[in-house]
Amino acid sequence: MSRRIATLAVLALLCAVPLVVRDDYYLHLFIVSGIFVVAVLGLDLIVGYVGQLSLAHAAFFAMGAYTSALLFVRLQWSMWLGLPAAALGVGFAAFVLGGVILRTRGHRFIIITVVFAELMKLVATNWVDMTRGFMGLPGLALPKLSLPGLGSLDITAKSHFYYVVLLAAIVAFLLCRALVRSSIGRKFVLVRENEPLAESLGISAFRYAMIAFVAGAALAGAAGSLYAHYVGFVSPDLFNFSYVTIMLIMVILGGKGTLVGPALGAVLFTFLPELLREASHWRMITFATILIVATLFMPKGIVYPLVAYLVPRRWRLSDAHAA
Amino acid sequence: MPMLLEGRGLTVRFGGLLALKGVDLAVSAGEVLSVIGPNGAGKTTLFNVITGRVRPTAGSVLFDAQPIQRLAPFRIAQLGVVRTFQKTEVFGALPLVDGVAAGALARNDADPEARAREALATVGLENKLHLSAQQLSYGDQRLLEIAQALAAEPKVLLLDEPASGMNHQESRHIVQLIVDLRARGLAVILVEHNMHVVMAISDRVIVINYGEKIAEGSPERVRNEPRVIEAYLGVQKTQHARAR
Repeated sequence: MSRRIATLAVLALLCAVPLVVRDDYYLHLFIVSGIFVVAVLGLDLIVGYVGQLSLAHAAFFAMGAYTSALLFVRLQWSMWLGLPAAALGVGFAAFVLGGVILRTRGHRFIIITVVFAELMKLVATNWVDMTRGFMGLPGLALPKLSLPGLGSLDITAKSHFYYVVLLAAIVAFLLCRALVRSSIGRKFVLVRENEPLAESLGISAFRYAMIAFVAGAALAGAAGSLYAHYVGFVSPDLFNFSYVTIMLIMVILGGKGTLVGPALGAVLFTFLPELLREASHWRMITFATILIVATLFMPKGIVYPLVAYLVPRRWRLSDAHAA
Repeated sequence: MPMLLEGRGLTVRFGGLLALKGVDLAVSAGEVLSVIGPNGAGKTTLFNVITGRVRPTAGSVLFDAQPIQRLAPFRIAQLGVVRTFQKTEVFGALPLVDGVAAGALARNDADPEARAREALATVGLENKLHLSAQQLSYGDQRLLEIAQALAAEPKVLLLDEPASGMNHQESRHIVQLIVDLRARGLAVILVEHNMHVVMAISDRVIVINYGEKIAEGSPERVRNEPRVIEAYLGVQKTQHARAR
């Protein structure tokens, strides 16, 4: 009961953000964090639940952005069509890629995901006829939201688009929660904890790694679509390695293998570098120091100490269920 | 009685090393077959071939008269051929029930937790459900491994040195457990160095040396086979003599 009240309170707070935050810049940060929440929940499925370090995730995000942008520019598809198309398209790309690389593990898997990301960047850069190369694709617009009987709503204002992103983040969270609590999600964890043993007991590691990989990529694709239409411009810079780095920081320092952790991580590590602008040229050094200290003292992520501090013991089932 | 699991002419070559040379074996429901032999004789390779981790260079494995030697390990486990490992393999950080439920989850059992609790009760760990695997003693972890395998509802259970490193009382418990499983109709293939255990519960014993089967028969017959004494038991006896 009190758990439900706490959830409702958090939801109410999240809904109140545009009413309280009047500064467009901070609202922008909230929107970007929301988009990252969608993307890193997807990354957490493969990194946190199945336990394979994928560095292709930012490429999936960028591919989703490009898919949605190209559909808009070439075929005039609005974001309402572009977003599911991006999720499906990127999910399918991950399925094909996964068919090859999910047979490898460890270093080899990591290296191939990096190579894949670089390849996709080369495609976006060099397929000039389609993607306009370095010039990118500008002029992406946000669609109107037409509600039957209520007319249409302009979501181009930040304070309106915030709710679209909030809804997307909540849907992504609920989907991931349903997945990780299902028998499929429990098999993810068994594969992560001891793959040879899980296989010897009848669980196909390949199949469950594939499910996590594809679902995670589809979420990244959806997030990419939101990002493209929000920012209004995509370019090959989206494939830069720094994006996958920040996503991994969000997942790992948030608390991989939980859902609340990476979601909190997405918000925290979107705001932190921006808030550190006050420190001007000390900014990145301070950020790096915070990351190192957090890694040393909270190896399982911020969510575990946070849950220990905030949540009464009787609500907690176990560490595994902490979030 | 029809054979539940059969290996025919199993041969495994690792580069220049012939790890198994044309080994035949068969086990029927409700039977305990022990595989003994010196270290490096090929016993674990035999387990790896039967459970699909290693493809035989030649020969076939039949389960219920169907060839399974080309199937993936998880498929073979789903059919009902389940193993434990020589080196303890558990889901370290997970609560016992979550880990033991793996085999039941793999078969899409309606109530994996119930299957897990049953399996834990069968091996006698029902009082330790609140612990995680890594909090158990070594002996209890060996029992946990058997519970993990049982929750997968095997028809053939392959146990790789279940009594290794156990004291006298613990290995007596293992013996009783295997006897109970046999009574339930399981076919058990046992690799074990503890000769008290092997002699106490085996219906048949096969002896492997340098990848080759050198003897097969009842425990008494195998014990008195000169080639076996030379290859294996003789060493064991002198060790015993020295220990006394």
